[in-house]
Amino acid sequence: MTRAPQASTPPRPAARQNTTAALLFLAPNFLGFLVFTAGPVLFSLVVSFSNWNLQRTEPFGWIGLGNFRELLTDPRFWLYFLNTLYLMLGIPVSIAGSLFVALLMNQKLRGIIAYRTLFYLPSFTSGVALMILWKALYNPDFGPVNAGLGALRDLLGLSAVELPRWLGSMTNLIGLHPEEVRLTWQYLGVGARDAIIIMGIWTAIGGNTMLLYLAALSNLPQELTEAAEIDGAGKWQVFRHVVWPQLAPTTFFVVIMSVIGGLQGGFEQARIMTGGGPAGTTTTLSYYIYNKAFTEFQIGYASAVSWVLFVMIFVFTLIYWKAGSKELSY
Amino acid sequence: MRVFGIILLALAGASVLAWAIRPAPAPPGVTPLVWVSDDNPARRGHIEQFNRLHPDLQLRLDPDNGGMEKVIVQSLAGVGPDLFDCYGPQQLASYVKAGIAWDVTAELQALGVDPRQDTWEAVHPHVFYEGRAYGFPANVSVDVLWFNKDVFDRLGVPYPTNRPWTWEEFIPLAQKLTVREDNGRIRHFGLCFDTWVWKLFLHQWGGRVYSPDGTRCTLDSPEAIAAMQFTQDLIYRYKVMPSPADEEALAQQGGWGSTSIKFLGSGRIATAIGGRWWLCTLRDYKGLRLGAVEMPHGPIRRFWGYGKSTLVNRNSPRRKEALEFLRYMTGLPYNRLINQQADGLAPMIRHCGDETLANPQFPQEDYHAVFRDVMPLGAPEQISPFVNAAAAERIISIQLDLVRRNAKSAADAMRSAAEEVNEEIAKTLRRNPSLRRQYERLTAKAIPTPMTGTEGGGRP
Repeated sequence: MTRAPQASTPPRPAARQNTTAALLFLAPNFLGFLVFTAGPVLFSLVVSFSNWNLQRTEPFGWIGLGNFRELLTDPRFWLYFLNTLYLMLGIPVSIAGSLFVALLMNQKLRGIIAYRTLFYLPSFTSGVALMILWKALYNPDFGPVNAGLGALRDLLGLSAVELPRWLGSMTNLIGLHPEEVRLTWQYLGVGARDAIIIMGIWTAIGGNTMLLYLAALSNLPQELTEAAEIDGAGKWQVFRHVVWPQLAPTTFFVVIMSVIGGLQGGFEQARIMTGGGPAGTTTTLSYYIYNKAFTEFQIGYASAVSWVLFVMIFVFTLIYWKAGSKELSY
Repeated sequence: MRVFGIILLALAGASVLAWAIRPAPAPPGVTPLVWVSDDNPARRGHIEQFNRLHPDLQLRLDPDNGGMEKVIVQSLAGVGPDLFDCYGPQQLASYVKAGIAWDVTAELQALGVDPRQDTWEAVHPHVFYEGRAYGFPANVSVDVLWFNKDVFDRLGVPYPTNRPWTWEEFIPLAQKLTVREDNGRIRHFGLCFDTWVWKLFLHQWGGRVYSPDGTRCTLDSPEAIAAMQFTQDLIYRYKVMPSPADEEALAQQGGWGSTSIKFLGSGRIATAIGGRWWLCTLRDYKGLRLGAVEMPHGPIRRFWGYGKSTLVNRNSPRRKEALEFLRYMTGLPYNRLINQQADGLAPMIRHCGDETLANPQFPQEDYHAVFRDVMPLGAPEQISPFVNAAAAERIISIQLDLVRRNAKSAADAMRSAAEEVNEEIAKTLRRNPSLRRQYERLTAKAIPTPMTGTEGGGRP
């Protein structure tokens, strides 16, 4: 006796009811997504081809690729893109730090849950509160950061070395000029951009990346590490040749998410800590979009910048995905 | 399905509850009015007073929907406020062009009020657009020189007297008041002002942001350069003012309008340039002893005047009732309240007598007349119809930041600022045919249009 294939069996009334209920539960969220996310995203694409200005300083009109052409010749756009890329220099350090902390948190120690909670604290503390705190820490004359550095400097007998002015300084580790896309020794040093990077690393190390690595580590097959250890591999060799390759999918995901976050980032820091200064050196593309849209009311132009940013993120993800997929064997 | 039904019922119940506890509507016979303004204790005082004087109207404050874009969008959608505040000539132009500012020229005439004669000149650009009145000034201000008496007493320096005086006279005093500790840290600076005060120096050196017809940014003029050079000299040559880095070191926390006020209140600076509205904050510093005199002047004895106005929504179904608020703003109760709360100075000149300025709760404040006496010297804000004011402001503020940080000379920075702002003007003209025609009429110069292949081109 043969049974008819399951797919052709008509759904039972209970199953149909479940499907209807599921669809009804999903509908509000889906409608919300359509109205409040997908709709505005498409709308922004449409208005990026217009000169829409909320102040009505010019009559509304369709200008084709005018905003995109203007953007390519806008020196500020490129400067702020460079600032965005510069702030992303902290990403590799954050990822490495997160992995290191995850390895520590993966130990079977007493009170490990308390340690994990402590390291995760910055992630669920209000960003605004953290930034105000860091602003005080970076105070060049009275902040604990310079107090510590000053004590170290005196200990080493380097009293002639000037301490960083942190958020008040335009200098940076590679000597980026504040007004032009070029390097100059005059601006070599540690400044506002580096202060933001350091704060970002501190926040990220115990954050979601650490959790992802921790989850991946706890899912690693123990027999592989045990076999390596039996074969005489040391801790570093076990990590380098067994653990690290197993973590490749997580690293792949973490890098993609971090780069996407980095390209979209810098808004809160600029808004709360620096106002985009000094002289625009901590203005990133997301803060520029905000200023163009909600300070200068150039909605059309701001939408064009948003879409260029989207294309950059998309192209990066695509390339990395293609390249990474070939390398990944797990 | 049963779970879905239960949740739906719960949500419906919550909606009914929200409906039941919504704010009570105005009582029968009372017309509600909504005023979008800042959440300042002074506003609540005005609302209480207005509602008491007008029992048939109920004015409510809506501080959460401030911001020009919200006011315009809500008003065009038919859910806008009845009254809203306007913070500058550029905003006024936008409100008028958006069609939401009600032309109240005839209504004010009917009330027997002529804002040009009855109110301070400094705030006229906040009210008049192309010769028509679109509201009424809410308050005005011209900055003076505040001083912390404790710092002067500590150093045994006599207080300055209220008289016209120059920066050359002031600088030796400021140098005396700038005191460093043995380790080089500053105990207090002689002078401080907030960054937006830069226009004051421009007026004093005879410079302008824009040419009188608004067709060109003139920050590269020798007068403007000299003015900005002087602000740089105050920090790096005379060393009487904190640099931005010093300010960041002195400041424990930021916040709008807070830097100089906090420095003055905490005795970190001896003198500061600021308006009468600072008292709204400084009155909270217990035991603080302040004085105020006319600020020093440059080649020209001229200061910068600013303020705000209140407009009536043209699309409001209650605009006639809202007009009552403008009438209230012309009267003694409103003006006296503004003066006594020290929220700037009252807009009506005739209501700024000594008897309305003094607040009996603060008998030690003996300087209110100074603010009134400098008002006629307040130059109104300059704008150009050919450029987005916020875009120009952003460009200029970056260059000023470079000057204040000594990263660029005033001459180079002002030339860059003028060049970039003029490029913004050129962009506007390429896109806006009606502005282009207006520009050509003013300059008798034809601007090539994008259609003729000059897309990347030309300065105006």
